[in-house]
Amino acid sequence: MTRYVIRRLLWVVVLLFLVSALTFVIFFVLPSTDPAALRAGKTRDPEVINAIREQLGLNKPKIEQFWIYLKGIVLHFDFGHSYLNNLNVRDEILSRLPATISLSLGALVIWLFVGISVGIISAVRRRSLMDRAAMGTTLVMISAPVYWLGLVSLLLFSQGIGVIPIFPGSGSYTPLSEDPWKWFTSLILPWLVLSAAFAAIYARILRANMIETLSEDYIRTARAKGLSERRIVLGHALRSAITPIVTLAGLDLGVLLGGAILTETVFNIPGVGRLSYDAIIHGDLPTVQGTVLFGAFFIVILNLVVDIAYAYLDPRVRYT
Amino acid sequence: MSPLLEIEDLRVSFRTEDGVVGAVDGVSLSVDRDRTLGIVGESGSGKSVTGLTVMGLTRGRSTTISGSVRFDGRELTTASDAELRTVRGNDIAMIFQDPLSSLHPFYTVGRQLTEAVRAHRDVGQGEAHDRAVELMRLVGIPEPEQRMRAYPHEFSGGMRQRAMIAMALVNDPRLLIADEPTTALDVTVQAQILELIGELQKRLGMAVIIVTHDLGVVAEIADDVAVMYAGRIVEQAPKEGLFGAPRHPYTWGLLGSIPRLTAPRDEALVPIAGRPPSLIHPPSGCRFHPRCPYVRPHHTRIDPQLEPTGDPDHDVACLLPDPVRRALWAKLAAGATPQEARATEDEMMGPPTETETETQAGRP
Amino acid sequence: MYRSSVRAAAGLIAMLALVLLVAACGGNGGSSTSASTAGGGTTTTSGGGSGEVGQPVTAPPDNAKSGGTLTVLSAGDVDYIDPGLAYYSFSYQALQPTLAPLYSYAPGDPSTPMPILADGDPQISNDGKTITVKIKTGFKFSPPVDRAVTSKDVKYAMERAFTKQVPNGYMSAYFGNIEGVKAFQDGKAKDVSGIETPDDQTIVFKLTRGGPVVGALVLPVTSPVPEEYAKKYDAQNPSTYGQHQVSAGPYMLESYKPTRSITLVRNPSWDKDATGDPRPAYLDRVEFQEGNEDPNVASRRILDGESLVSGDFPPPPALVKSTVQGAKKDQIQFNPGAGTRWVSMNTQMKPFDDVNVRKAVLAVFDRNAMRLTRGGPLIGDIATHMLYPGVPGFEEAGGMKGPGNDFLANPSGDPQLAADYMKKAGFADGKYSGPPILMVADNSGVGAQGALVAQQQFEKLGFKVTLRQVTHDTMYTKYCNVPKANVQVCPNVGWIRDFADPQPVLDPTFNGKNIVPQNNSNWPQLDDPQINAAMDKAEQITDPGERAKAWADIDKMITAQAPLVPWLWDKFPTIQSANVAGVNALWNEGSYDLAYTSLK
Repeated sequence: MTRYVIRRLLWVVVLLFLVSALTFVIFFVLPSTDPAALRAGKTRDPEVINAIREQLGLNKPKIEQFWIYLKGIVLHFDFGHSYLNNLNVRDEILSRLPATISLSLGALVIWLFVGISVGIISAVRRRSLMDRAAMGTTLVMISAPVYWLGLVSLLLFSQGIGVIPIFPGSGSYTPLSEDPWKWFTSLILPWLVLSAAFAAIYARILRANMIETLSEDYIRTARAKGLSERRIVLGHALRSAITPIVTLAGLDLGVLLGGAILTETVFNIPGVGRLSYDAIIHGDLPTVQGTVLFGAFFIVILNLVVDIAYAYLDPRVRYT
Repeated sequence: MSPLLEIEDLRVSFRTEDGVVGAVDGVSLSVDRDRTLGIVGESGSGKSVTGLTVMGLTRGRSTTISGSVRFDGRELTTASDAELRTVRGNDIAMIFQDPLSSLHPFYTVGRQLTEAVRAHRDVGQGEAHDRAVELMRLVGIPEPEQRMRAYPHEFSGGMRQRAMIAMALVNDPRLLIADEPTTALDVTVQAQILELIGELQKRLGMAVIIVTHDLGVVAEIADDVAVMYAGRIVEQAPKEGLFGAPRHPYTWGLLGSIPRLTAPRDEALVPIAGRPPSLIHPPSGCRFHPRCPYVRPHHTRIDPQLEPTGDPDHDVACLLPDPVRRALWAKLAAGATPQEARATEDEMMGPPTETETETQAGRP
Repeated sequence: MYRSSVRAAAGLIAMLALVLLVAACGGNGGSSTSASTAGGGTTTTSGGGSGEVGQPVTAPPDNAKSGGTLTVLSAGDVDYIDPGLAYYSFSYQALQPTLAPLYSYAPGDPSTPMPILADGDPQISNDGKTITVKIKTGFKFSPPVDRAVTSKDVKYAMERAFTKQVPNGYMSAYFGNIEGVKAFQDGKAKDVSGIETPDDQTIVFKLTRGGPVVGALVLPVTSPVPEEYAKKYDAQNPSTYGQHQVSAGPYMLESYKPTRSITLVRNPSWDKDATGDPRPAYLDRVEFQEGNEDPNVASRRILDGESLVSGDFPPPPALVKSTVQGAKKDQIQFNPGAGTRWVSMNTQMKPFDDVNVRKAVLAVFDRNAMRLTRGGPLIGDIATHMLYPGVPGFEEAGGMKGPGNDFLANPSGDPQLAADYMKKAGFADGKYSGPPILMVADNSGVGAQGALVAQQQFEKLGFKVTLRQVTHDTMYTKYCNVPKANVQVCPNVGWIRDFADPQPVLDPTFNGKNIVPQNNSNWPQLDDPQINAAMDKAEQITDPGERAKAWADIDKMITAQAPLVPWLWDKFPTIQSANVAGVNALWNEGSYDLAYTSLK
């Protein structure tokens, strides 16, 4: 197991290198912006543009820029400075991570709770009215674009502009460290909006898994042992059906930690997603690189965590 | 004193998208303490459903059950789910065909055993553990303490089935239903498991029902045999009677399917021609008629009833006259093919006539 | 291992695909202030509500209350928080209340500079090469500097903007003719010899030749910076003074969290009576909440909420319409003089090197249809020449009616006239035949819609248009601002002056000598010797009336050359909550002037 983890971690390093190289290449091959010219704004003075180019380190050969960048990361964990506002990319990402983590983890809790409950009930009461209603609702949730859902929820429930103004709306995000209660209330709507589609998908997946599991031989065995239905469903069927859900949750969380762009945008939450989106639009390579690397890091690390968790969840899986 | 388990006119049907499947259609059986009943039949004959229904495991929104299952005087078909649960795994235990898929893959064998103990006994974890170990030892699993901590996939096939048996027996059941307990196992292991079941039965004084498609298994272990076809019992007899003088063409077919160790290697198995019938639209008359080599025209109309053959406890449901059947079996036992044997039948009864066919068609 | 790699790969690919997708075609060109707009104004409106819906309010109410906190919602951030670098109108809105530039404008008069730090009008020598400005006593820097402002602080503020650490975008254009700049920049002189400070209350500018320096004294770079305090920050490259700046205006920067928030509080060292600063400074505190990228949500918050105003974004057209017709009509203003929009043609490339082809394009162009993409008459007037309302010289150049060119007579286009010009250009059937032309435009928002309308106009004349749509930034920095990119048509360009003078409108955009390889803003690449020479002369005129007249003549010459389609003179919409008494600064696109705005 240890060897397996070490090997995987080495792969993570290789993968992150490849990702950053690829981002670099994409950035320079595709027609993007000229960061120095953009930073110079209206000015046409070549001296000024060159001074900015020098400040940004863009006067050096591309390979050297990449080398300097990599060296910065490896030696100082330094991801460079934004082309747009000269902010330290690492600090900027780290300062925005709490918002993204708050958003993602809170949504994860909600969608797991809702998705799993609905999935179980629907599977156990298959074809009942409740099952049909739940599955119909999930279809709507899955089809509803997050952005649209966000706007609708704001117009319905947010203070200031909502019809039933019960929750704080866009731009109300407050860090947990500043005011836990405000943090909580300001995130209620974003959590619900972000978790809606996930909860729906998870409910459907879990329902299908449960139905499949409930027809397994070992469930028949459990019944033959005289176990209660509750124990059969929650102890035996759920235990198997939930394994893929755990895997999925890990991966989805990894992706979200890279930034829940749309939700962060509608609710004006200063998270990593917004940062990366703005950076991409304005051709801010260091920030793009930084957010992509952080995002990739979360994806591969959570993937590793999921694989390790899998070995614990499913004793048939062993890594060497 | 009435038998331990008495099944009377049991009917089980399932509603499916294609129609109602009459899986069990009027089965009556009984089995008593210290006895082993073998239920034999092809897949789809209703033998497994019969076993599962005794346990109440076929209950569901799309299932209709009628008739009676009396266990030790208690009626099980009408018992509530809660009542049934106190019987399951306690008075009546069951083991299944594939021990790998029948054990939960994510739980240790020990946990699954202790869970079975604690489902019916108000005992602590330690006591349940001891009981589980005791049973593991009883069924011949070496180093039971260590094996308790292993997962099903870490067991060999035979050991897994032993573990299943141990799990079934933790609560000293009075009836063990074994549904194809050896089918998924190697031939050498099969014999060991059957031996184990036989031995445990004697030791514990249980009644045993073995559900199998393999007459060889029955020959080894059963006291009585019921042969099922298309949801019904077509022949029922003590083992000696069935193997010594089988009375139903379907039983003959099954006997022809047994690989005999004495037979030369290249002797082909003689399967029963044709496929098992649909249980949604079962054949008219004798349900075996489409596959019976000895069918007469009127067999497609008349539904045979299980009737005594005259031999002790030997019943059969066949429309052929008894002497004809005796003669046919004699031929077959001598090594004739069904086709050759058929000639004997025609000799005795004459070939089917036009009038016979017409009258048949003319009848309401 | 296999399964997990596949999953990881899927996640990573999704992420990279997003990068690719957005880099190649995504984006939001409309939401933030473009790189080419800042400042603005008109002379036509004055304070108070005149009854008509959407009129700018340019003076505080008589009974304006003091105190309270106002929140400004914005989509984007300032370009630079350093006043020596700030160049966006939103940056001006945020920083101006903390600054004490030599001159500024009253909210309602974007044409006449008004002294702030300066004591009276500048004294200009007869040859126009020496400008003397007196400085008021009474201005003090905010803590921790907390001392009186002197002329040396203005000198330092301007000098630092000539250095590499503070790469200011307009210094060379407007102050490059001050004596000794070159020597200073090359490191041969310790200071700019042409900026003299004979005493603490006097600053003198010595110029090598006449130019726009006087008008440019309203720019934020003339707001004082204390050298002894700023030196250590300015020694870094880039300078970090912006984060640590001290203020001489009524407010000071309490905090700046880039892309998130800016907070202004009162400057305890500022005393209205002692300074004679004309700004009333009613509010106690101003908070900028940034990152409101959805204009719909942000606009509704402002209109329905309390103590909120809009910053850098216009409310979406649908909301503008419903607001004007609804109960909240007093909460919206349309501010004239907020710049002008053009569809430019590359006069250096075929077929637009032929003036008759260009005139045909202008003649056929449906400028009404273009304006509809942005919201119709509410958001601006159809342009008829290059100078726009509020810029000195506008009236002399023809005013709203324009100079009377036939090809700009019909705002909906004149196909017959266009065909005539095409015939003159040698296309006998009045239709263009030849290789397709390259048009580079925005890929989202109203810019993208405008591009499609523009494409149709060219197609009316028989052009085949290859339309390449990219992000707003890419459109400027990789295509339209780069002559080597050989783009023939740029439908999404526009311009806004830096201060009240015609030169900053016409010189960077039509002077042949300003065609530069990068950040070129002479998009038509017009290089007409007569126009160049006329500009060279007009630049040095100091008398305001003569200056306006000279540049108005140049405007006519340019318009006659039809180098681009002038199609809109913007009126920028601003919105406020019901309890806000906003004052629109017409010199700055009409954005709320926070030193005049109060809460009801």
